Amino acid sequence: MGLLSILRKLKSAPDQEVRILLLGLDNGGKTTLLKQLASEDISHITPTQGFNIKSVQSQGFKLNVWDIGGQRKIRPYWRNYFENTDMLIYVIDSADRKRFEETGQELAELLDEEKLSGVPVLIFANKQDLLTAAPASEIAEGLNLHIIRDRMWQIQSCSALTGEGVQDGMSWVCKNVTAKKK
Amino acid sequence: MAALGVEMNVAQDDGETNTAVKVPESVLRRDQARLEEAERRRDVKQSQTVTEEKSDFFTSTFNAEKTQLEEMISSCNDREKAAKTLEEATVKFQQLQKFLNDSVRFLTQYEIRQAQESLQKLQSSITDKREEILPKKKFAFRSRNTSKQQQPTPIQQQTADKPAPGSVGTVVVDAADQCGFSNVDNQVLVRQAEEIQQRDVLLSHLTHCKVRLYGCPSTLHIKNIRSCEIMCGPVSSSVFVDQCTDSTLVFPCQQLRTHNTTATRVYLHVTSRAIIEDCQGVSFAPFTWTYPGILDHFKVAGLSPDRNNWTEVDDFNWLAAGTPSPNWTVIPESERICSWDFVGTAAEQS
Repeated sequence: MGLLSILRKLKSAPDQEVRILLLGLDNGGKTTLLKQLASEDISHITPTQGFNIKSVQSQGFKLNVWDIGGQRKIRPYWRNYFENTDMLIYVIDSADRKRFEETGQELAELLDEEKLSGVPVLIFANKQDLLTAAPASEIAEGLNLHIIRDRMWQIQSCSALTGEGVQDGMSWVCKNVTAKKK
Repeated sequence: MAALGVEMNVAQDDGETNTAVKVPESVLRRDQARLEEAERRRDVKQSQTVTEEKSDFFTSTFNAEKTQLEEMISSCNDREKAAKTLEEATVKFQQLQKFLNDSVRFLTQYEIRQAQESLQKLQSSITDKREEILPKKKFAFRSRNTSKQQQPTPIQQQTADKPAPGSVGTVVVDAADQCGFSNVDNQVLVRQAEEIQQRDVLLSHLTHCKVRLYGCPSTLHIKNIRSCEIMCGPVSSSVFVDQCTDSTLVFPCQQLRTHNTTATRVYLHVTSRAIIEDCQGVSFAPFTWTYPGILDHFKVAGLSPDRNNWTEVDDFNWLAAGTPSPNWTVIPESERICSWDFVGTAAEQS
């Protein structure tokens, strides 16, 4: 499902602007996911230095997806993009077990942010094409997702590389995004 | 006589009237004073009664709720029910806190202080019980202030897991599907194409090893490496290097990410670009290694042999434009290695 398909589903609410934020550690696959959604070539992904943004507009409706770089040094800048976010997509490298604790820590801090209060969060357990990937259930347990009570949340297995699981995740996004009148 | 009689009547009336008016006035005044005094006393009594009543009500209610909470917390032993009970206890605690806040207006300072201390104890009890019965998971949320484990642990692990001397190509598998080498010292480690083809390869906790990967993995993780020479065929996506010291790395890949690495040389073929973060003394040169079948592996990996951005290195710790980062350099041509040791031949059929 590309951004245009998402746009069509959301079109039932005209004159709105939906802002989706893509976050996660470096090398998690955020940019690959964004390009997969935009049906773009994914063979020349470069480590994101600032941010990538995809914006789709149709009949007065606008969908923005922001992909912010995940290197440690630029994570403090994430908060500059929190304002007016309608949906948070957090991307995890399911095969990078040694950094599960670090990614859980970053996610916990995001969920504590006042500006992201109540914002639904979709967690993509990415890189499921790799044999060493942890299943989504294990990641959900490790991150203690069940204690999230102040918002809608969902964890979805996916491979941004092959596209598998991405559509299911985005379907959940369409159902749960609560766009505000702008 | 009649006239005189009439006059006398008038005089008598006046006299009676005056007397009556005087006495009631005096009496009335006294009576009023008495009533006012009584009323004042009654008000004072009522006021005291109300105050005492509220104070007593708060104390008894608060203590009852507190006792109930304490019982709830101490009876939390069954793990299955514990989560729910602790949640109920938390809600009850919050209600109690609100009750105190609402009652602050008419409580004495002493009473307020006592109640607050009780609430703090209850909160500690809830927290302690939660930690006791619901221990934190491996990947639980944690404060950023937590210091990371010291290096000695990996070293100790390394020593404990040291393989038998003389063995070549020892494999320590971390997980069932994991592919690579871990916890090896002073060995030559070789993997052929069919063993690593499009798989996620992990090299971790190696010292003084020579690694030869004659194939094209999907991704390559290189972590906690010291004094090693690691050479790999084309990697389809990214190579991730972390905690690498005094080593030489040689590989083609789509992306390279390097963290916490020092005194390391990278002979690189990268089709997008490389980044470094928290690194010092890292130097780069173009990829110069080869083995039979490598061109086929470039194709399988989806990398173009003609596109190499090895000089495009971004340092996330260096923000100054126009001034090159002091954390990485280009290896001078005269110092580059072009002929590598011939270690563990690649299989002819690759």
